[in-house]
Amino acid sequence: MMAEPILSTKGITKRFDGLVAVDGITYEVGDCETSGIIGPNGAGKSTFFNLLTGYHRPSEGQVFFQGREITKVRSYQRVMIGIARTFQLVSVFDTMSVMENMMLARVRQGLEYRSKGRFFFGKLRTRRLEEECFQALETLGIADKAETRTADMSYGEKRELEIAIALSLSPKVLLLDEPFAGLSLVDIGHISEVIKKLRGRFTIVIIEHKISKLMDLVESLCVINEGALVCNGNPQEVICDPTVRECYWGKEDMVCY
Amino acid sequence: MFAKIEKNQALTLGLIAALFLVYAYTTSLPRITDFIIFCIFVMGFDLLYGHMGQLSFGHMLYLGAGAYGCGMFAYHVSPNPFVCILMGILTAAGLAALLGQVVVKTGGAAFALLNLALNEVGAYLVLSPMHRITGGEDGLSLFFQSYGFINFGDSVFRFYFCLAVLLLVAFLLLRLVRSPFGNLLKAIKEDEVRARFLGYNTYLYKYVTFIISGAVCGLAGALTSVNLAYCNTSLIAPTRNVEVIFSALIGGAGSVMGAVVGGTAYMTISNYLAAYIVRWEMFLGIALLFFAFYFRKGIWGYARRA
Repeated sequence: MMAEPILSTKGITKRFDGLVAVDGITYEVGDCETSGIIGPNGAGKSTFFNLLTGYHRPSEGQVFFQGREITKVRSYQRVMIGIARTFQLVSVFDTMSVMENMMLARVRQGLEYRSKGRFFFGKLRTRRLEEECFQALETLGIADKAETRTADMSYGEKRELEIAIALSLSPKVLLLDEPFAGLSLVDIGHISEVIKKLRGRFTIVIIEHKISKLMDLVESLCVINEGALVCNGNPQEVICDPTVRECYWGKEDMVCY
Repeated sequence: MFAKIEKNQALTLGLIAALFLVYAYTTSLPRITDFIIFCIFVMGFDLLYGHMGQLSFGHMLYLGAGAYGCGMFAYHVSPNPFVCILMGILTAAGLAALLGQVVVKTGGAAFALLNLALNEVGAYLVLSPMHRITGGEDGLSLFFQSYGFINFGDSVFRFYFCLAVLLLVAFLLLRLVRSPFGNLLKAIKEDEVRARFLGYNTYLYKYVTFIISGAVCGLAGALTSVNLAYCNTSLIAPTRNVEVIFSALIGGAGSVMGAVVGGTAYMTISNYLAAYIVRWEMFLGIALLFFAFYFRKGIWGYARRA
């Protein structure tokens, strides 16, 4: 039984000149559900995310959030209503310290900085803000790195920081674009643990192209191939679906989980 | 040591004041007044270039807008120096608010060149079509009212007034770059898209920064016309953009203190070297190459890390 959808799209399409990157996807994800999106390279997964977050304007179709149409809502406003994302290539601000990175995100949400005077001329660091950021870093287990320069961190730690930043945006929907890409096995395990901890608190959508990493994380799975939604449903069923197996592994046989 | 000084706001301002006082009383007061005004200009420019990462080739336009806003008000309306300076700031800020709507949407080379083009247009307008009110090539000779000891005809008063303004601007800019807003500027410099995905309307903040930068440059322009008691087209000449860019580079872009150091260093070179070497610009060019290749962070950038 699927909960009321929090984020959904209706026939969403994105064309880049001649190329149809996303082709009429109708998708929905329920409140507090953890969902995965898989598909081969170039299938349109990231473009689909970019449409959800407002990085691209769709050529056709609509996006809904909590029952409200947000197709024309700008990307930074979508963040403010609760759609946070991470990027496929980890993107944190290298020139700043970990704490500054966190504060940048937290300040925008913190009520005390809503006044213009505080924002423009107030001190960046207040004790309350520091504590909030510290807590978020603790969730990810990188609190000891708070004063490190981000450029000096390992790729895995940057990925954790990026998730911590997304968390401090108080998201209702968290979109993770290939959170495991380029990570060592240890880091992958660590991030899976974090995602497991967060599961159920809000909606999480994860893009990944290696199916195995998602199987024990997600409640539903959808497959995108050549810009179109091929299949959506329970992970066990999806993975046994013949069309999915054909587009994903070719015609070779594969044992079902 | 320098890093510690920079962290402490009072110490930074105290150091700036002390150095200018020593410099002024060992050389010449009116000359250092020029230096101080130029430093304000560099600080305004550097807010855009060093802190936000957008290089403008046309910031003389805002210096000129400030100078002419102040000068024309003094010449045609009222010689009250404070109102004139305020009018100069407002003219430059207003112009930045108007042009910023177009300019800020661009970036990189387009941003630099669009500013240069607008500067050319501005310089032409002042020189020719508007010559009846701007004085054209002859410029305007100005007179400012004095009130007791507030006498802008007195070079000692002008020096202290400009120094006080410099300290005020430095104070405000230091507050600004260390606030959440300053943190956001750093973020925009590094990756604007990412900053937008943290919920910031980056366009708006870039626009606001452009206006603040224009206003500070306008203030420098207004002070120039008060200090010189005239304004002419050299104050809006697009060819002089090089000076401010060069100063920001040698001082160390992205630091309020760096702007002051760079402005002073540039003015020192151009004022004193010129007395001994006729073609001093050549040495400036060589110095610029040297800085571009070996000292990217500028004088202050390296002093801070030492």
